[in-house]
Amino acid sequence: MAGYLLRRVAQALAVVLFVTVIVFILLHQLPGGPARAVLGNRATPLEITQFNQDNGLDRPVPVQYLVYLRHWLTGDFGFSYKLNQPVGALLAQRLPKTLVLNALALVLTIAVAVPVGIYQAVRRNRLFDYVATTLAFICYAAPTFYLGLILVLVFAQKLNVLPPEAPQSDGVVPIFADFRGMILPIVTLALLGIAGFSRYMRSAVLDNLTQDYVRTARSKGCSSSRVLSRHVLRNALIPIATLIGLSLPALFAGALVTESIFNFPGMGLLFWQAAQTSDYPVELGVVLVTAVATVLGNLLADLSYALLDPRVRYA
Amino acid sequence: MSVNPIDLATEQLAPQHEIALPAGRPRGAFRAGAAVFVQNRLAVAGLAVVVLLVLFCFGGPLVYHTNQVDVNLANATLPPGAGHPLGTDETGYDELGRLMVGGRASLTIGFAAALIATLVGTLWGAVSGFFGGLVDAVMMRVVDALLAIPILFLLLYLVTIVRPSVTVMIVVLGLTAWLIPARLVRGESLTLRMREYVQAVRMMGGSSWRSVLRHILPNVAGTVIVNATFQVADAILLIAYLGYLGLGISPPATDWGGMLSKGTNFIFPNYWWLIYPAGILIVLVVVAVNFVGDGLRDAVEVRLRRR
Amino acid sequence: MIASRWRIGAALTIVALAATGCSTVGSSPGGNPPGKAAGIATFALPPNTVPNWIWPLTPIGNFSVINAGVFQELMYRPLYWFGDSKGGPGLNPDRSLAELPAYSDGGRTVTIKLKPYAWSNGEQVTAANVLFWINMEKAEKANYAGYVPGQFPDNVQSATAVDDSTVVLKLDRAYSEQWFTYNELGQITPMPKAWDVTAPGTPGGCSASMAACPAVYKFLSAQAKDLSTYATNPIWQVVDGPWRLETFKTDGHVAFVPNPKWSGSPKPSLKKVVLAPFTTDAAEFNVLRAGQTLDVGYLPTSDVTQAKPAGEAPDKAGANPLSSRYTLSPLFLYGVNYFPLNFGNPTVGPIFAQLYFRQALQSLVDQKSIITAAAKGYGVPTTGPIPLYPDSPLVSDLERQNPYPFDLDAAKNYLTSHGWNIVPGGTSSCAHPGSGPTECGAGIAAGQKLEFDLQYASGQQTVDTAMQSLKSNAAKVGIQLRTSTAPFNSIIGLAVPCSGSKCTWQLANWGGGWVYAPDYYPTGEDIFGTGAASNVGSYSDKAMDALMRDTTIRSGVEPMQAYEDALARALPVIWQPNYTYSLTEVANGLSGVTPQNPFGTITPEDWHY
Repeated sequence: MAGYLLRRVAQALAVVLFVTVIVFILLHQLPGGPARAVLGNRATPLEITQFNQDNGLDRPVPVQYLVYLRHWLTGDFGFSYKLNQPVGALLAQRLPKTLVLNALALVLTIAVAVPVGIYQAVRRNRLFDYVATTLAFICYAAPTFYLGLILVLVFAQKLNVLPPEAPQSDGVVPIFADFRGMILPIVTLALLGIAGFSRYMRSAVLDNLTQDYVRTARSKGCSSSRVLSRHVLRNALIPIATLIGLSLPALFAGALVTESIFNFPGMGLLFWQAAQTSDYPVELGVVLVTAVATVLGNLLADLSYALLDPRVRYA
Repeated sequence: MSVNPIDLATEQLAPQHEIALPAGRPRGAFRAGAAVFVQNRLAVAGLAVVVLLVLFCFGGPLVYHTNQVDVNLANATLPPGAGHPLGTDETGYDELGRLMVGGRASLTIGFAAALIATLVGTLWGAVSGFFGGLVDAVMMRVVDALLAIPILFLLLYLVTIVRPSVTVMIVVLGLTAWLIPARLVRGESLTLRMREYVQAVRMMGGSSWRSVLRHILPNVAGTVIVNATFQVADAILLIAYLGYLGLGISPPATDWGGMLSKGTNFIFPNYWWLIYPAGILIVLVVVAVNFVGDGLRDAVEVRLRRR
Repeated sequence: MIASRWRIGAALTIVALAATGCSTVGSSPGGNPPGKAAGIATFALPPNTVPNWIWPLTPIGNFSVINAGVFQELMYRPLYWFGDSKGGPGLNPDRSLAELPAYSDGGRTVTIKLKPYAWSNGEQVTAANVLFWINMEKAEKANYAGYVPGQFPDNVQSATAVDDSTVVLKLDRAYSEQWFTYNELGQITPMPKAWDVTAPGTPGGCSASMAACPAVYKFLSAQAKDLSTYATNPIWQVVDGPWRLETFKTDGHVAFVPNPKWSGSPKPSLKKVVLAPFTTDAAEFNVLRAGQTLDVGYLPTSDVTQAKPAGEAPDKAGANPLSSRYTLSPLFLYGVNYFPLNFGNPTVGPIFAQLYFRQALQSLVDQKSIITAAAKGYGVPTTGPIPLYPDSPLVSDLERQNPYPFDLDAAKNYLTSHGWNIVPGGTSSCAHPGSGPTECGAGIAAGQKLEFDLQYASGQQTVDTAMQSLKSNAAKVGIQLRTSTAPFNSIIGLAVPCSGSKCTWQLANWGGGWVYAPDYYPTGEDIFGTGAASNVGSYSDKAMDALMRDTTIRSGVEPMQAYEDALARALPVIWQPNYTYSLTEVANGLSGVTPQNPFGTITPEDWHY
């Protein structure tokens, strides 16, 4: 196991580096460069040259990458061209908010999707199954920007039971003091996840219900619920574990549309705004965080697989 | 933006599903699968809806003529009424005609992008899984790395260097979506290459490429087809998302997603004819395609067939 | 049976979801501004914009309406204030820190007499403070947004403090009084002695000698780069304006409280002014409608339920969907909207160089219809370099009449009378090449087609509609415009002055045009002058250069109108409608917000409940 872990960690590092190299190269291929995008269309050639010099953009691309790498290794993520803040400070400000929103959405997703999926599988092809399936597909098919606006319209405007925007407090702790504003964004995000997770849960439970070991357990006298909770659930949770692991990057990458609609600036908006203003240091910082989260997610999913399924062993 | 979690997770499930179809018996398998598909009412309904939508978008303009070229600002954002059963949009185009135009783009991009993604991904995954070892490690790490790059960034980059048209969007979406089929097929072909008949072929001196083409690919066909249908739905949704971000097809071309995202600006003034028709059509086609995919999955799933 | 159950279940759910989506415009009761009870006014920032630079010597990358007019100027008053009491773009002597400048010696000497103003730390606003700014700008030209090569402070030969409240500038030649006051002196913001340091407590000496300025610049810009300390750093606490910072959050939540030491008037009656950031205008509108938070917000154009009737004054509000709680007040910035043609492009440059072609293209722009359809009536046509609204004595009759109104036949005529074969719906081509008066023009080959690439910034409905309309109209005379969208910064990066074979862009529209700030006097040499940095299309006309030079040298309205008429006729760019910067919604019960400043500056000291 230790050997496997070491190999995977080494591979993960390689992947992260590779990702940063690709993004770095692509960024510098974009026409125009950040100078004009940041300085605007009143910039004089003198100012553009000054900007390029100040930010090391006139050096060859490989040299620039190495400089970046050296800074990253010392914890310096650079300074945002446009936002006038250190990238590290921006990440420290936005990441906790994104984590709170996405983690709570994930918790809600699992809390709803697992029971619904199980019930759908157990009561297969009955009314509940069909209604849940249809709802799931509709939630999956309706784009988030549409769903979110409808939710705000209904709950914040017409029924007036919830605030129209997420809490505007600084930092994460005050969010919990004024939690009502988080309900709509969390639900918007969770609806999409519930749709997918519940479909998958249903399918996984169904697959397990038709397995031989279930028949064996039932014939030995175990009750349905015991079979379900002790044997089927554990196996059916394996794909859910995979899904959670694969959702890890999204936890860090933020949810652009939800953040826009509910006025909750997080990592998604940070990246998007940086991409629109060619703010390289911020883009690279966010990509780094997401890449690390992705490989971490893959690794954790694979490890949890070993935990849940005794047949899986890593040499 | 999340990828269809169902597909991502199926990769892990693949080793548990035994596809007991040996190569060389395609006709029997197809007929049996078709029988299961037809029994699934939802799947048939889904297929019917897709066919109807295709007819609406491609055949509709032959019956219902509207001017989709000339702007008519004096008639902008008219509610449904005389001459315009679904009103007009912000530049005066007839909305019903616009839905047909948008549908052509949405459906074309959806199906074509799914096709490209499936072809590229399947080949990549099959080769990677079959050869194994170093080849597999390298090819899969490439896939991992590309998956780790935020898709938004890739799309932004691609859209910036080429002007967005329907063809460009097909290529762009196809190139970002092939990663999932690659992973899925690789998982399956890893299992398959251990099968006796494949090993027998290799021992008899058959070339590796022959094995890949004649034995691996037909057997992963099931998973691939199912995944392809979900790719169609995802591509249509992704185009909608891109339209919302301003990275979609350039006007005057449009697609349902672009129409919906523009329409969401008008929720408050209640220009419902700009919002709900496009939205309902998106939901309809995605739900229908998903039902078809469900039906196909049941049809290729041997276990269920025996029940 | 199963199928029908599914149908019922599905149908129910679809209907339920659809029904909740249908909405009617609900009106909420009451006209009580949310902040009235506490004496606080909450102001909505434009989407995706937060203040992020506090020091008035703003670098070009951080220069914005928000940083200047909604942040810095509340605390640090500029020497001269622009935006009069009626909402016009003229100089406002009452709010300025100095008397109107006196020109003597044939216009080569400027005497500035400061009014008695005090800094919050007890210092007086003195002539040394003005020299501090001038020396700093001289030393750090490349780092200031308002600097134009060859202009201020390069054109100041010497600046001296005759006494504590008088500054005398000697210029390198005589200039137009209006131009020099507005565009050159308008750059000055006096800085306190407390800022003339290289480290806390270590005096710098920049106000006395330019040589000492780089060290002071290094210190001050380092302070300005540390956003989290804006409200706590003692440097920034030294203010001469009516407000000072109480709290500053990097996400845009900013609170101002009154500066008790302010020397000007009116004294603030509000206890606090709070800025509220928003990610999108949809998010802001949701909050505005809820009526719990915002006292001054804005209505997104797409949410205007009823277009304003044509023919009304631009600042007159039409139907207001939020009328029960708010009053609508359209705000136009003093600027012009246009998109450039690339004269440097080797293939299509020769066509663009022909005046008749630009006349034809401008005649295909249906500004009135675009304003009604896309902006719901909240827009003003642009007919030349001087904005038609807010009105000023600079606007000439020619501009008011519009030399190139929307006219398809006129467009056709321009082309056919110069040797083009018009193919409506197809692509027109040159039938009579040559340089004669009825021929296509120099550098245009026989059969050359009228097809061009037009790239424009995505995300703005008004620009979308305008470009679609232009494409459609142009097709009617056989001009094929291959339109495509791209993000804003791609367009900005693309539309640069260039020449040669790599110069491939043809027409580019970033949707913004030009706002005349800090060049408050619209003399245009920064936009249309040969070689000017913002002349992205590389337009060059010696006669026009001479006229623009004239506007900076000779005082009065006449040189301006001469330049204005010539440029309006010459069409260096294609004019587009000027839309409102903001459809401001002011809570009923809050007065003093209107008339609004045409440069986007807010003066909350005027606001009261």
